[in-house]
Amino acid sequence: MEVDVEGIEPLTSVSPMALPRRTDAVTDGDQIKKILKNAPDSREGFFAVPKVME
Amino acid sequence: MTDLHKITIAEARTKLRKKEITSVELTESCISAVEESKALNAYCVKTPELAREQAKKADELLSKGNAPDMCGIPLGIKDLFCTKNINSQAASKILTDFKPEYESTVTSRLWDQGAIMLGKLNMDEFAMGSSNETSVYGPAVNPWQRDGSDKKLTAGGSSGGSASAVAADLCLAATGTDTGGSIRQPAAFTGIVGVKPTYGRVSRWGIIAFASSLDQAGPMTKTVKDSAIFLNAISGHDDKDSTSAPFEVPNFEAAITGDIRGKKIGIPKEYRLDGMPDEIEKLWKNGADMLRDAGAEIVDVSLPHTKYALPAYYVLAPAEASSNLARYDGVRYGHRATLRSGEGIDEMYARTRSEGFGDEVKRRVMVGAYVLSAGFYDAYYRRAQRVRTLIKKDFDDVYSLGVDAILTPATPSAAFGLGEMKNEDPIKMYLNDVFTVTVNLAGLPGVSVPAGLSSEGLPLGLQLIGRPWEEGEMLNVASILENGAEFNLKPNKWW
Repeated sequence: MEVDVEGIEPLTSVSPMALPRRTDAVTDGDQIKKILKNAPDSREGFFAVPKVME
Repeated sequence: MTDLHKITIAEARTKLRKKEITSVELTESCISAVEESKALNAYCVKTPELAREQAKKADELLSKGNAPDMCGIPLGIKDLFCTKNINSQAASKILTDFKPEYESTVTSRLWDQGAIMLGKLNMDEFAMGSSNETSVYGPAVNPWQRDGSDKKLTAGGSSGGSASAVAADLCLAATGTDTGGSIRQPAAFTGIVGVKPTYGRVSRWGIIAFASSLDQAGPMTKTVKDSAIFLNAISGHDDKDSTSAPFEVPNFEAAITGDIRGKKIGIPKEYRLDGMPDEIEKLWKNGADMLRDAGAEIVDVSLPHTKYALPAYYVLAPAEASSNLARYDGVRYGHRATLRSGEGIDEMYARTRSEGFGDEVKRRVMVGAYVLSAGFYDAYYRRAQRVRTLIKKDFDDVYSLGVDAILTPATPSAAFGLGEMKNEDPIKMYLNDVFTVTVNLAGLPGVSVPAGLSSEGLPLGLQLIGRPWEEGEMLNVASILENGAEFNLKPNKWW
């Protein structure tokens, strides 16, 4: 192997910043119409897909 | 005045405030220019009615005084940005007719400040490409042509439509996005200024994701000063993007003093490639001379892991892309394949993606899935992430020596002809990003500035790489290159 990466930590984020946290609470919702507007197929407030049978 | 669309943001800002022009006049001039520009294929969606409405409101806001800098300025928006109720397709078939129910943070900031949207701009599909040839709309065309030739040239990519539109005065400025060079390479190919900000400076919310740890939006403008004004308008923390930095945004325009005495500018020896054209070498040397003449100290620096940047990038970016693009499955938005009798949901997913994605996107999704697969994760993905650490450390080391900015060429060549790379190995296309991709891997700011013409009469750009969060100082140094090169050339109008 050409590059020696022994003991080198993998870089997952360029900014040395902890992920900010917020209270685990609902901040949004009640937008069913908007969410479904671009769906190729939707029925009764849900995305519709071909029947799945196992 | 019929040539209003040719002015800069800074000029328009002054004229609008002196009441020499109105935003409505300026916008009409741009709309006419866009109408005449079909041959450039820069706009994939035009929104003249919205623009007229926004311009009227902007004039009202301006008449009250104290309007923001971007008020009344007509812009083009890359198709990667979600714009409410307006087609946002990332130039892909798989997002056919997708009309978002929300507005990206960048564009909503612009509209809140009174800026005007002329339409959506062409790009490579999902920002994957360096020539705009992967677009479902066909390629944007460079307004520049070689001396004595009418061969159509690439405007670069992925922000090719943005570059073409700004260079051809089809808007005063445009938004772009840059994952490996997608703002800076097209800017260099079209003789305009393009800025990739520090990772985290600009919110990514509402911008269709390619490789989330590398993507950053930025301005593409006619001048360095315009980039500073534009960047100020879109920068700053956004709660909706957890990677957006909670830092105060300095006044970038005020940082452009033209005084770079005592600044240390690094010239990285690893960017001197074998077989680099003489004219690129000469351009680079001229740039260093200009900065030295302005009082900067030019120092040789070393970024020893540079040659591993492109291979690491083409592991990391496809890995992130394969994950980000998993959402396009024909369920929630965009294209869904028509099923044949007896076919079920698995066929729906497969056929939808097979029909909806173009070849380059498929290539990257497959490469990404491969390098993330259980047996190869450590050998490819994890290893590329460790190489990324080394590349970032190269820059950290140089900056810790007191270097203020790094000067490199922006691209290894001038714009090439459309179709010329068609039968080449895809890796040859990837080489376009050889000077720009390190900047994304390290999360640094970079700017491409037009600095001269090739022997064939095409624009060539130089790149400055700044210290993290020092876009202002980077643009200050860029302004010296801009003035020194006296690049005020425009393409001859053939379209």
